[in-house]
Amino acid sequence: MIETSVQKEDLREIVAEVLEVDTDELTDTDDFVEVYEADSLRAIEILARIEKKYKVEIPQSELAKMLNLDAVCEVVARYVGT
Amino acid sequence: MLEHADIKRILPHRHPILQVDRVLELDPGNRIVATKAVTGAEPCYVGLPAEAPASAYAYPVSLLVESLGQAGGILWLHTAAQRAEPVTGTLIFGSARDLTLTGHAYPGDVLRHVVHLELVKGDNAFMRGETWVGDTRIATVGEILAVLRQDTTLVPA
Repeated sequence: MIETSVQKEDLREIVAEVLEVDTDELTDTDDFVEVYEADSLRAIEILARIEKKYKVEIPQSELAKMLNLDAVCEVVARYVGT
Repeated sequence: MLEHADIKRILPHRHPILQVDRVLELDPGNRIVATKAVTGAEPCYVGLPAEAPASAYAYPVSLLVESLGQAGGILWLHTAAQRAEPVTGTLIFGSARDLTLTGHAYPGDVLRHVVHLELVKGDNAFMRGETWVGDTRIATVGEILAVLRQDTTLVPA
């Protein structure tokens, strides 16, 4: 099923799975790199999973902004359902 | 079909870490079937004592996954070359997820990898694959990430 609206909890699940933390450990605002030890490979994995789920293409340049869950929601919302 | 000489023109890996012998099928952008023969002369068996049990000769999982990843690398790089979208940089194994082992390979066995290219995002390729020995599937990898990185961005840890 193609998702047409962005639900923060769906994104939390995707990010938590890639960063290998529990969903309740992943806060809205903590920095992926500083708090969850993400690196560029994890970042590209998150992007790929979001693209697959929402059937959208998000440029890699957006990764620089996707530093925490709230920021991911903001970026993804701009590409989904438009 | 690609033979060993062809493979060495696609992959930068060399003996003893080049872990693909032959490509049986290649559907660009989609799927590859490639083989790697395991022999008792592999460097990984050097130094095993004569009394080592049979289980000591199971082909190491790390090398098996590397071999599967290299098959995927051939699929990715060959596809890019065919589409005149040449890539640059050093091919690196990024990660493997959802690895399930259902068997082992031993000297004398031929690994047959079937790898699907799922998504290419810039210098990053996502794949999934299976490894078979004869009619037995011995490994499944749900997600393999291979990346190309410029040498200048690679620094010693």
